Amino acid sequence: MSLLQSLKNSIRSRSIHVAYVNVGSCNGCDIELLACLSPRYDIEQYGIYVHNNPREADVLLITGAFSPQWEDKLKPLWDKIPNPKVAVAIGNCPISGCVFNRPETLVDPPVSKHIPIAAEIPGCPPRPTEIISTILSLAPLIFKDYEETNR
Amino acid sequence: MKKTVDVSLPIGPMHPLFKEPCRIKCETRGEFVLSAEVELGYVKKGIERIMRGRPWQEVMFLAERVCGICSVVHNYVFIEAVENVSGIAPTERAAYLRVIVNELDRMQSHLLANYSYCYTIEHETLAMYLLNLRETVMDQLELITGARVTCAFIIPGGVRCDLSADGAASLRTALDHIDSELSRFVRIFETGPLIGLRSKGVGLLTKEAAIEAHAAGPTARASGIPDDLRNIHPTYRLLDFKPVIRYEGDNYARIMVRFEEVFQSTGLIRTALALMKEGPIRGGGTIKAGTVRYRGEAPRGELLYDLTTDEHGRILEIAIQTPSIMNIQVCAHAMLKNAQSAADITAIFISSDPCIACTER
Amino acid sequence: MFSFVYYIKEFLRPTWIRSFLTAKTAPLKSPSYFRDFPQTTEKECTHCLACMMICPAPDAINVVQRAGVWQPEIKKGHCIRCGLCIEACPEDVLASGRILEYKRREELTLKGTYHISIDQKKCMGCGNCSVSCPVNREIDPSLRSSGTSTSDEVIMRVDTGQNKVLHEEKCTGCKTCEDHCPNQAIRVARVVEALQGGEE
Repeated sequence: MSLLQSLKNSIRSRSIHVAYVNVGSCNGCDIELLACLSPRYDIEQYGIYVHNNPREADVLLITGAFSPQWEDKLKPLWDKIPNPKVAVAIGNCPISGCVFNRPETLVDPPVSKHIPIAAEIPGCPPRPTEIISTILSLAPLIFKDYEETNR
Repeated sequence: MKKTVDVSLPIGPMHPLFKEPCRIKCETRGEFVLSAEVELGYVKKGIERIMRGRPWQEVMFLAERVCGICSVVHNYVFIEAVENVSGIAPTERAAYLRVIVNELDRMQSHLLANYSYCYTIEHETLAMYLLNLRETVMDQLELITGARVTCAFIIPGGVRCDLSADGAASLRTALDHIDSELSRFVRIFETGPLIGLRSKGVGLLTKEAAIEAHAAGPTARASGIPDDLRNIHPTYRLLDFKPVIRYEGDNYARIMVRFEEVFQSTGLIRTALALMKEGPIRGGGTIKAGTVRYRGEAPRGELLYDLTTDEHGRILEIAIQTPSIMNIQVCAHAMLKNAQSAADITAIFISSDPCIACTER
Repeated sequence: MFSFVYYIKEFLRPTWIRSFLTAKTAPLKSPSYFRDFPQTTEKECTHCLACMMICPAPDAINVVQRAGVWQPEIKKGHCIRCGLCIEACPEDVLASGRILEYKRREELTLKGTYHISIDQKKCMGCGNCSVSCPVNREIDPSLRSSGTSTSDEVIMRVDTGQNKVLHEEKCTGCKTCEDHCPNQAIRVARVVEALQGGEE
């Protein structure tokens, strides 16, 4: 069992399928995510594939400060992702609301009120290097011993 | 009763090809698109409500976060608007530095738009080439301003930091690199037979329709409207600026206009570097009371800031008009109508370079 | 058929093979000129709060006392890495990227002045603002709870049922008065000016 589990752990840490959802960001974090795809950073060499399809994703990257339109849409989207799954907040907006968290604003941060957030990458926006190194350091940990802990 | 509509085809708000959430609702008969409508409102944050009652040093950062792709131009136009109110003129060196950073931002925005288009028509090789070339531009932006996306470079009376001699030399090398690489990619785009099939004659926008729907920016310039607000900007006049125009009005023309504007931007930056003299980069000056409507040319078209300040420089009233809303509407009502294939819907939509974050704020 | 030959020829080029075998992606580190989260230098913080006053993001920076020493503390997840606090700090306590270097070299400053405006239609003359103002309390410790004072040196005091501003230039822009006003009658405006070359 433990051998099988360690095999699963090592394979899962090298094959991460990613979907991203913009719940009211300014685009800054989204284009930094896109820059991760570029041949210079090349996240596919680490086994991270951006599908942008929740039904085959393991990791949901969330950018944005949760605008009211997503009130009834983010939770169903989160439910569509098969287990095991995690959500990672990218940028300041999902963590604290950034500069938008002021009186009279329409957004409703943090996103962790609505779906469970496993990790946060601060920065407005974070550099692609920061995004990649965080996801890489996260990869061996997030799905470690999933079957053992969720039996 | 004959049935005219086969399928109401919704695209979005989560779609693998869209970077931002929005929904296109299409009425189709077979593959033929009868009509289309764009539903917005997924990223509304209420930035203008937050801006009210705040001084420039806070509104500047909010203005930058109206749109992350063209953040420099929002900063630029907002600061020039408040400078207009209070009669501040930037120092000469600062004016050229602003143009340099603004043109670098335009280059990365156009390269990103063309990347998205190539990715949408599934020419991933060219898309990745363009995305990698964009990193060269981002490096230069980071070298000058210290940040990749939200540069916070332009402040009333000047700019935040100076461009050193080393920086100017590395900028010149990067511009040469961009010119030589991009002319290769443009040749790939021009001669690619499959790209031609997906682009030429697809998403036609006639000049009349573009004028009627108030199209702006490269979308309008690809349909033969010589509208570019850089024409009337005092600093750009010194740089001998001429807008790029094409007359085809299809996807191909819109992408080619953006490519040519990147070449034009490298030329403008070279001229600005040559004309720039040593001098102070900050002139000081405080914001006074007044009302102004100030327009500037964003990568996507005309950007308008309409604001009122009080005697201590706080923003009392502000309204922002971004170019994307016109381009999205002209896309929905003129370009998507009579599209021959459902597969072209996303390609046509992306070719008008919609920026949803700009539109909804 | 031609394309097969073309590709085989392309892939057999020595430069292609060499670049294929030795391709390396850039290391995952930020360049030195990147404007990262501000770090504290060894300089001593004087607790002037200039960084907090200029910060455009809500509660991104706080000046706190840790083990008897005042020092600014950046909250990750709130800080937007604009670098204004570094430019505003008169003591060069914070550093990030090249900002401190060019600030020193080119003598760039952000000068802040503060203006207090009181809406006399809304002001009830309760004196909460005058009492809560930390500068007022320092100047005149005997300031009464009604906000009246015998001293002419205070920033503001209640006089004949209305709050009057006497010395606007002493305001440090902490906005304590704004928080304590029950009627939102008092507003503090920060007017920031970006200057170069020391005193002008």
